[in-house]
Amino acid sequence: MIALMNALIRYATSSIGKKQIVGLTGLMLCGFLAGHLAGNFLLYKGEGVFNAYAQFLTSNPLLPYIELALLGVFMTHIGFALWVTWEDLLARPERYAVRRNAGGRTIGSSTMIYTGALTLAFLLFHVTVFKLSGEAEQHVRGLFGVVIDCFKSGAWVAFYAAALLGLGVHLSHGVQSAFQTFGVNHEKLTPGIKAAGLLFAAAMAVCFGMIPVLTKMGRIG
Amino acid sequence: MSITLDAKIPSGPIEKKWDKHRFDLKLVNPANRRKYDVIVVGTGLAGASAAASLGELGYNVLSFCIQDSPRRAHSIAAQGGINAAKNYPNDSDSVWRLFYDTLKGGDYRAREANVYRLAQVSNAIIDHCTAQGVPFGREYGGLLANRSFGGAQVSRTFYCRGQTGQQLLLGAYGSLMRQACSGRVKVFARREMVELVVVKGRARGIVCRNLVTGKLESYAAHAVCLATGGYGNAFFLSTNANSCNASAIWRAYKKGALFANPCFTQIHPTCIPVSGTYQSKLTLMSESLRNDGRVWVPKKAGDKRSPDQIPEEERDYYLERRYPAFGNLVPRDVASRASKAVCDAGQGVGPTGLSVYLDFRDAIARDGLDSIRAKYGNLIDMYHHITDEDPHKLPMRIFPAVHYTMGGLWVDYNLMTTIPGLFCLGEANFSDHGANRLGASALMQGLADGYFVIPATLSGYLASEKQEALKADAPEFKEAEAQADARIRKLLSAEGKRTAVELHRELGKLMWEDCGMWRNESGLKRALERIPELREEFHKNVRVPGKNEEFNQSLERSGRVADYLECAELIVRDALERRESCGGHFREESRTPDGEALRDDEKFCHVAAWEYAGEGKAPELHKEPLAFEHCKPSQRSYK
Amino acid sequence: MSGMKLTLKIWRQKGPGAPGELRSYGVQDISPDMSFLEMLDVLNEQLIKLGEDPVAFDHDCREGICGMCSLVIDGRAHGKDSGKTSCDMRMRGYQDGDTIAIEPFRAKGFPVVKDLVVDRSAFDRIMQAGGYVSVNAGSAPEAHSLPVPYEKAEAAMDHAACIGCGACVAACPNASAMLFVSAKVSQLALLPQGGPERARRALSMLEQHDKEGFGNCTNEGECEKVCPKSVKISSIARLNREFLRASVLY
Repeated sequence: MIALMNALIRYATSSIGKKQIVGLTGLMLCGFLAGHLAGNFLLYKGEGVFNAYAQFLTSNPLLPYIELALLGVFMTHIGFALWVTWEDLLARPERYAVRRNAGGRTIGSSTMIYTGALTLAFLLFHVTVFKLSGEAEQHVRGLFGVVIDCFKSGAWVAFYAAALLGLGVHLSHGVQSAFQTFGVNHEKLTPGIKAAGLLFAAAMAVCFGMIPVLTKMGRIG
Repeated sequence: MSITLDAKIPSGPIEKKWDKHRFDLKLVNPANRRKYDVIVVGTGLAGASAAASLGELGYNVLSFCIQDSPRRAHSIAAQGGINAAKNYPNDSDSVWRLFYDTLKGGDYRAREANVYRLAQVSNAIIDHCTAQGVPFGREYGGLLANRSFGGAQVSRTFYCRGQTGQQLLLGAYGSLMRQACSGRVKVFARREMVELVVVKGRARGIVCRNLVTGKLESYAAHAVCLATGGYGNAFFLSTNANSCNASAIWRAYKKGALFANPCFTQIHPTCIPVSGTYQSKLTLMSESLRNDGRVWVPKKAGDKRSPDQIPEEERDYYLERRYPAFGNLVPRDVASRASKAVCDAGQGVGPTGLSVYLDFRDAIARDGLDSIRAKYGNLIDMYHHITDEDPHKLPMRIFPAVHYTMGGLWVDYNLMTTIPGLFCLGEANFSDHGANRLGASALMQGLADGYFVIPATLSGYLASEKQEALKADAPEFKEAEAQADARIRKLLSAEGKRTAVELHRELGKLMWEDCGMWRNESGLKRALERIPELREEFHKNVRVPGKNEEFNQSLERSGRVADYLECAELIVRDALERRESCGGHFREESRTPDGEALRDDEKFCHVAAWEYAGEGKAPELHKEPLAFEHCKPSQRSYK
Repeated sequence: MSGMKLTLKIWRQKGPGAPGELRSYGVQDISPDMSFLEMLDVLNEQLIKLGEDPVAFDHDCREGICGMCSLVIDGRAHGKDSGKTSCDMRMRGYQDGDTIAIEPFRAKGFPVVKDLVVDRSAFDRIMQAGGYVSVNAGSAPEAHSLPVPYEKAEAAMDHAACIGCGACVAACPNASAMLFVSAKVSQLALLPQGGPERARRALSMLEQHDKEGFGNCTNEGECEKVCPKSVKISSIARLNREFLRASVLY
C-alpha cells in the first residue's frame, strides 16, 4: 500500500506524470463537452424534449456523485496545469531580450494558460446562471426558458461567443497535445490526430457557439 | 642522462605475445584496487574508454577534460568508421591481414608486436560497442554491415552513418557516466593540465588550471594516463578542434618523457579549401568521395575559365594519369602530395589557386543523380552550405589539410612512457600507425588502448611497484604549481601589440610551407631558424587580455600557442633528421626516379625518440630500431 | 571586395549571478564566406587590441558535431539556418548594415558562466542517471548474437544523433530538456541491448531532469525546429510512453 502510494506520488510529481494527468483530465473533459453538446442539440427539438431531458438528468440519484467527480476532474486539470505553468516560469528566470519563434509554436500552444483561464471564467458564469441560481425550477418554461431569456442579451451572446472561441483555441492545441503526451506519435497517425483535434476544437466552438447566436436571432425559442 | 629504450616486447610467437603478457603481468587484488588513484587526462575515445574501464575494475579514477563535458572531445568528429578483423563479409579478412595492412599502410615504421595486438583486440571492440548500444549500420537481416574504406581490399569498416566517431565516443562517454554515477570515477570538466608532477622519478600527479576560476589545482595519484590527442594544431589550420593541443604531452616531454617521430603528420587530401585569412579551421569531407569523384586540374597553368567551360582534352586527371592502377583511390599521403605538385605548377584552381577539382559529372551521367545523392547527399549539401557553390552544377574544390599526427610520446608495449607511471594512449602516443595512418584505424587504436590494453598493463604496473602515500600538498606539487604559475604570469606580463591567434597563424603558415606535405633540407633549416625568432617575438610582443583568476579564453589560447612554438621546432628537427620519405613524411631529396616517396630502410628503420635536454639546448635523439620478422618491408607502389 | 559592416548586440556578463546587459559593437570587413564564429573571432581580435575584454563564447570542433557552441542569435537558438549549429552558420545570410543580437542559452538549468558561456553540466548528471547500458569492457557477447532489425537500428541512430548542445532547452518556452532526455531514452529503448534497464533508465533520467530545474514539456515543438541534428518530438512521445510503461511496471 505504501509502495503504491509512493509510486503514485512519484508519478504525479514528475514532469511527465503531471502533464499526463493534465492530458488525461483534458481528454475526459472533452468527453464531457461532447456529451454536453449532444444534450444541447435537444434545444433544437423544442421546449418539451429539452426540459424532459433536463428533468431526466436532475432527477438521477447519481447526479451529485457524477457532479462531484466532474468537479474533481476540473480541479485536477486546472491544478496540475497551474503547477506545470508555475514551474515553467521558474525554469527561465532571465528572459531573452530578443525572442523569435522557431516555428513550432501555434496560437493555441502559446496561449493555453490564458484560454484556460478564460474558459474557467466562462464556466463560473455559466454554472451560476444555469445551475446554481435555481431559476430553472421557477421559470414557467423550465431550463429551456432560462436559456432563451439569457441569450436575448447581446452582451451575453458576445461573451459566450468569445469564451467559446477561446475554448476552441484551447482545444486546438490541447487535444492533439494530449495524444503526444501519452506517446501517440507516429508519422502515419499524427497528421490525422492533429487534423481530428483541430476539427474537434472547431466543432466544439461552432456548435456550442451557434446556440446563443441562433437564439438571439430567434431561430430557437 | 642516458636512456635505453626498452619496448618490453614479450617473447614468444607474435600471436601469443599479448595473451602471454597478460598472464605474466601482476594483478591487483579486487579488494585493493580502491586504494589506487589513477589520473586520466582527456576524454576522447582513448581517455573515456580508459577511465571507464579502470573504474569498472575498481580503481579510483580522476578524469579530466578541457571542454564543458567529456562528450565533446574531438574523437566525436571522426566520420568514416572503425576497422575490425571480423571477416563478416567472408572476403578473407583476418587478424593477420589487418595487422599486415596496418603495418604496410604505416610504411613499416611501427612495431610489429603492437600492431598485431591492435588487430587482435579489434573484434572485441566491436562486440563491446555493440553491447553498449552503439547503433552501427545494419543489413536488413539485422546483422552488422561493413563497408570498404581507405583503399582496403576487404570490407572491414563498421560505421554509424557519417558519425561513427560520435557514436563510439557517446558509447564510451555513457560508460564513463555510469562509473561517475557509481562514484568510481570523478570527472573534472573545464580543466586544462598545465604541469605533470614527477616524484622520485615517477609520475604521481598533475596540476591543472580550472578554466572557470583560473585557479591552479593539484591532484595526486599512483599513475597518470595522458590521452590528450594529437598536436596537429601546431599548423594553425587543421581539421582538429579549437581546443586540441599539444600542451599536456609537451609538459610530459619537458619532464622527461621521450617524444617519438614528431615529424609524422598526416595530411588529408579531401578538405574544403582555405577561403580567407580569417579562417579558423578546415573542414574535412569523407574520403569516400574519391570512390566516385574524379580529381582534375586544367592542363594550362593559370587557366581562369569556369570548370564547365574547360573541354575534356584540356583537363588533367592527374591521379588517373600518374597512378593508373589505383587512380583516384591512392592512399591519403600520395593523393595529397600530387595535389600540391599540380598547384605548385600553377594549375591550381579557385580564387587562391590552392585547390583542385573533384568532379561528379561523369558519375552522375553514369549512375544518375539519385544514386550519387544517396551516397554523398549529406557531403554535397555540407559543401554547398560552406562554400555556396553547388556541386551538382560545378565540381567541388578540395585541398589537403593537416588531419592527424602519428607521432607522439614514446611508449613501450605497456603504453608506458619513459617516465615510470606515466602512460600515454590514443593519438597522443606515437602509436601503431607508423608513418601513415589508414582510414578507420584511429578509432580502433583509441578504443583498443582504453578498453583493453591499459586495464591490463596499468594493473601490472601498480601491482609491481610499491608506492608510498602522497598528498597533493607535497612540495613537488607546490613546485609544479609555481612553474605553471610563472608561465602564466609571463604571458600576461608581455603586454605587447599582437594577439596569440595572429602569431599562431604565422607559425602555421611557416610550418605548412616548410614542413608540410613536401619537405626539403633548406626549407627545414629555414624553419629551424625562423621558429625561435617567432617564439621570441611571441614572448616579447603578445598581448593577453584580462587576468588569470577568471574565465579567460585568450589566456588559454596563448598558453597553447607558446607550447606549439616549442613543439613545432621539434617537428622540424625530426623532419630534418629523417632523410628519407616514408608515409606522410616526404623528403624531396629521397625520391624514386619518377618522383615517388623512397624509404631508406638501412638508415631510418627506427623510431626517432627525442629527449628534452633543457632550455636552449638541442634535444637528444634516441633510436629504437624496428625489426620486421613477419612482414617484410617492401616499396609501396600504386602505379 | 570589401566586406560587410555589422552591428552586434552582445550579452555581456562578468560571471555567474552578475548583472548582464546587451552591449553594442561594430565589426567591419566581414566576408560572406565566414562562419558566424569566425565573425566573432574578428570582433575579439579587435577587442584585444583595444585593450578590452573579448567576448567569451563556447566553441570547439567548428564543424557542427561537438555540441559546444551555444548562441541564441536574433532570438533563435543556433541562428536562422535550420539543422545547423551556431558554428556551422555562415555570414552569407546577412547584409551590410545588419544588426545582430547574440545572447546565451537561457535556462535555470544552464546558469551563465561568463558572457555567452553557460554551464551545461546538468546534462552530464542526467546521463549519469542512466544514459548508458551497464556493460563492462570485456564482458560483451559476440556482436552478431543479437540481431537488430535494420529499421530499428536506423531509428535508434536518428535519436542517437543528439549532440547534447542544449538548443532544445534554449528554444523551449518552458526551458525543458525533454528532447535531450528523450533522444537517449529512445535510442536505447529501440535497441535490444538497452532492454534490461529500459524502465529504470526512463524513470531515473526523468527524475534527474526534473531535479535540475528544467521546465515541463508542453508539446510546443520549438525544440525540434532548432535541433541541429533534427531530432523530432516523436522522440519525446516515445519517452512519455516509456515513462508511463515504467511507472506501471515499477
